[in-house]
Amino acid sequence: MRSHLLRSAARCLRARPAVAPARRHLSCRSPPLEELFARGGPLRTFLERQARSESPLQVGGPELVAVAKLLSEKEQELRETEHLLHDDNEDLRKLAENEITSCQKAIAQLKHQIILLLVPSEETDENDLILEVTAGVGGQEAMLFTSEMFDMYQQYAAFKRWHFETLEYFPSEIGGLRHASASLGGPEAYKHMKFEGGVHRVQRVPKTEKQGRIHTSTMTVAILPQPTEINLVINPKDLRIDTKRASGAGGQHVNTTDSAVRIVHLPTGVVSECQQERSQLKNKEMAMKKLRAKLYSMHLEEETSKRYNARKIQIGSKGRSEKIRTYNFPQNRVTDHRINKSLHDLETFMQGEYLLDELVQSLKDYADYESLVDVISKKL
Amino acid sequence: MELWGGMLRALLSGSGRRGGALGWAFSSWRPHLPQAGLLSATELVNQWTAIFEKRGIPEARESSEYIVAHVLGAKTFQSMSPALRTQPLTPWQLQCIQELSSHRLQRMPVQYILGEWDFQGLSLKMAPPVFIPRPETEELVDWVLEEVTQKPHVVEAQGGPLVLDVGCGSGAISLSLLSRLPQSRVLAVDKGEAAISLTRENAQRLQLQDRIRIVPLDVTLEGSWTHLLPWGPVDLVVSNPPYIFRQDMEQLAPEIQSYEDPAALDGGEKGMDIIIHVLALASRLLKDPGSLFLEVDPRHPELIGNWLQSRPDLSLDLVAVRRDFCGRPRFLHVRRSGPQAGCPVAAWPGPQPARLPG
Repeated sequence: MRSHLLRSAARCLRARPAVAPARRHLSCRSPPLEELFARGGPLRTFLERQARSESPLQVGGPELVAVAKLLSEKEQELRETEHLLHDDNEDLRKLAENEITSCQKAIAQLKHQIILLLVPSEETDENDLILEVTAGVGGQEAMLFTSEMFDMYQQYAAFKRWHFETLEYFPSEIGGLRHASASLGGPEAYKHMKFEGGVHRVQRVPKTEKQGRIHTSTMTVAILPQPTEINLVINPKDLRIDTKRASGAGGQHVNTTDSAVRIVHLPTGVVSECQQERSQLKNKEMAMKKLRAKLYSMHLEEETSKRYNARKIQIGSKGRSEKIRTYNFPQNRVTDHRINKSLHDLETFMQGEYLLDELVQSLKDYADYESLVDVISKKL
Repeated sequence: MELWGGMLRALLSGSGRRGGALGWAFSSWRPHLPQAGLLSATELVNQWTAIFEKRGIPEARESSEYIVAHVLGAKTFQSMSPALRTQPLTPWQLQCIQELSSHRLQRMPVQYILGEWDFQGLSLKMAPPVFIPRPETEELVDWVLEEVTQKPHVVEAQGGPLVLDVGCGSGAISLSLLSRLPQSRVLAVDKGEAAISLTRENAQRLQLQDRIRIVPLDVTLEGSWTHLLPWGPVDLVVSNPPYIFRQDMEQLAPEIQSYEDPAALDGGEKGMDIIIHVLALASRLLKDPGSLFLEVDPRHPELIGNWLQSRPDLSLDLVAVRRDFCGRPRFLHVRRSGPQAGCPVAAWPGPQPARLPG
């Protein structure tokens, strides 16, 4: 018996590297995800059903069944090895300890794989996106905060090595920002940024406040996925493109410098403008990018509004009106209300680097958890 | 504000910037001096807009925005951050803006004042009297790129097309094609000395000088095409030739009339004088198959179609007309329709005609 276990332990040790590597780095998963895997819990039942079923579910498919099988084998192995911790033989105990550690690692990886297989990836996860920031209530203070938020996202893009291109910029008199938009692109840009959409609230003593009172102001972030050529096809006949050269002979006859471009999508009335560049062609390209993103998110919202209705983490226009986060400067804290998570050191957070990334990661995990619950509750 | 505007006007009226009573306001050698009002970029744009408007300068706001943005290191005022717009300008910046704006009061085109402009995503140096590229021509380049990349049969060149740009001006067409088609090579010709050296300078600034050959050439001269023989037949000819009808020349805005080289604009009585030379040149130098892309006046497509029909010896067909962003028929695609009679194809030097001698 003992020798059998040892052999199997040794086999496991050798087999360990063969476990498929996780597709993305293992992060500290939030507790709810761990709970789903509890013995006898809904996810277990779901996986067992999948294994018995003649035709496994579309999501995950046969790969899911295989990984689930591997998981239960590993867990079985872990339980058996745990007995060896009480063995008289010291060498064997040591071997068992090592074995347990590697089993636990493998189990964590397998669970992670199962999550990846079950959480449906969105059509748009890999797309580029348009970021829009707009000052909300709170006058100049809201505009100052909007400007800081826009800078934060620009720095976050640099931190994630995404490209960031400002599309429009409407500043206020004292250095704030009324409204701005930018085009962001890079690996999984939308997958990360989609959780930023919503109302962000700031609480602090504004620079403009003389009596030291704390004000509460808001700004809104919208995240629109940028469609690919295949995602969205626009009929050129549906567009009206306005430029300042519309009258007169054009061509060599005139030399104008106003390169602003305005595009109207006639069927929907959606308008997009750009005057960021000296080249009219470049302005047209940027206005077109924005128009496509607007039309695409309108299209997506129709499709997805039902699917997401019940969730805490909302994507798209539903989430836009929801207060998602508070930046409390007197307490040096940022709190995300959707997952009730607080981080301290606001200054570092606003630099748009690892702290913002940590919060985004937590939101992603929570969203994964929610869609996992969706998947298994539907099929039970 | 009114006072400050008055000061600017006084300065501009030429009462001597150096010795004048108000000279201190712009003295860069005493930067610690308290400045009148500590003006921001936004305020300065507003002031100069008002001055330009008063003096009847077209695009008053755009002009002052471009000038102020340029002095502050930005391309457009719209792309400037809130901080940059609101912080007070230095005396040196004020002086720069004032100097550049005074040129605008003389109706100098903004592109010449800034000394640069953008075309197809490239920043090009601009210098009078070399023709300033117009936004329509960006569309001409787009069309060429579309044909070359999406319809390889238009260009059967191996390793990338050899393109001839007739009347290269600042080099806008040549350099944007080179930057978008990494395999391509360009032969750029112009009769203006200033254009030749500006194209050369822009090519060097953009690090594209290795794939371009810049040749001074007047295509209206008899037999001029023979000068291009050493570089072999070309896959594409692209040109924005002077196409303005002679009678329209007098109605051009002062910006164009007083600053741009009329030779780059004046196309003769029907605007066709240079165009027919470009067509003849294309007929001599284009490979079979090969294409010519032209920017023209909206009245030209018909005129050129008829003219080509009257000259079957050129073996050129007008195959497509495209409209510009304002809906005017502006661009022509002319295709070579067989070997041209009398074209000394056999006389091309060697089997490697595409190589550009260093």
